[in-house]
Amino acid sequence: MIRKKIKIVNKLGMHARPATLIVKTATKFRSEFKIIKSDMEINGKSIMGVMTLAAEFGSELELVADGVDEKFLIKEITELFAAKFGED
Amino acid sequence: MKKISVKVLYELKKKDLSLTLITNPDTMQGEITTSFLNRPGLALTGYFERFDYNRIQILGETEISYLQSLKEEDLYNNVKETLVYDIPAIIITKGLTIPKQIEFLANEMKIPIFSSRLSTDKLFNSLRIFLQSFFAQSKTIHGTLIDVFGVGILLTGKSGIGKSECALELVERGQRLITDDVVKITSKEDILVGSATNNYGHFMEVRGIGLIDVAKMFGIQAVRIKKRIDVQIELMPWKDNMDYERIGLSNNNVEILGNSIPIIYLPISPGKNIAVIVEVVAMNHISKLFGYDAAKEYTDKLQEDLKRKAKIREKHIADKG
Repeated sequence: MIRKKIKIVNKLGMHARPATLIVKTATKFRSEFKIIKSDMEINGKSIMGVMTLAAEFGSELELVADGVDEKFLIKEITELFAAKFGED
Repeated sequence: MKKISVKVLYELKKKDLSLTLITNPDTMQGEITTSFLNRPGLALTGYFERFDYNRIQILGETEISYLQSLKEEDLYNNVKETLVYDIPAIIITKGLTIPKQIEFLANEMKIPIFSSRLSTDKLFNSLRIFLQSFFAQSKTIHGTLIDVFGVGILLTGKSGIGKSECALELVERGQRLITDDVVKITSKEDILVGSATNNYGHFMEVRGIGLIDVAKMFGIQAVRIKKRIDVQIELMPWKDNMDYERIGLSNNNVEILGNSIPIIYLPISPGKNIAVIVEVVAMNHISKLFGYDAAKEYTDKLQEDLKRKAKIREKHIADKG
């Protein structure tokens, strides 16, 4: 299992498009994927789940992946965050 | 451990509880760490064993009239001994007036005293309800909550197994959706209550279509805001070698936030009508609440029959012999 803290760096926060990107990326992998924001823990492969976080610009999330391809999952998701989901 | 500062509590509840601060504002320094309240009657008489000083202390007519009956010197000493403890706040009910010495001592010891116009009983109740919901444990889980014939059914299972589709079919059959995908569960006394984590409304993702608004599409009767959770149903892919429940005599339970509820592991395979099965689970649950357990009923009948037959056979053999 890998845990990784990450910050939302795009101005608009985690709206529908980035959420879709995350879910689409995560579902490519077999590992289980969760995202935690304060006391909320959701399934990172579910679009409603990710949007429910309502994660705004500057907020901090924790990514948790568990499974055979967890490393690659975390790597790709981290890249999405770093690239500001192609925004700004 | 959750906590709420006295200042915040005062700001939030001063209207509802009709509170006014009697002591100086700088006395509001403490924090409340428990939903329990205390009436410090015995402490005021000088008995401090098991004195729950970390709770909000409520002084009603009984306590105040006791204090007023004391000689001035005893009053001063008793109150001083009580206020030595780190009490977060004191509330005087019914707008009663307190002896001046108490106010002086409280200012000195930095313990806030509030006066409420409510009766002790009313104040106790509404403050307890507020604190209990504030300190209630809660967590979010991945699942769908639906009210089926009044039974709160929590559908869980891996992403893509068909929770939302099942919920949609149930809604079409007249059942009511509470929330899809993310359920916030709060433990209240000895029940679990589920609701959505936000107030956006009753939206749902259906693979291949996208987001839909269930309340707009099926009408307001198809949704509700919150519901007690009675049964969890875990949807799982059908596996040939898995040991599924066949009779229904053994009951599995799952623990959520310290509360135990029945859980049913439901194997699903293409062409199976899950919505009907979920309705059957709900009806079976109600049946059991009414004292009728189909599995037990059937097996009892079977056992009786076996006994009866064995007796006949015995008799038969005896007659022959």
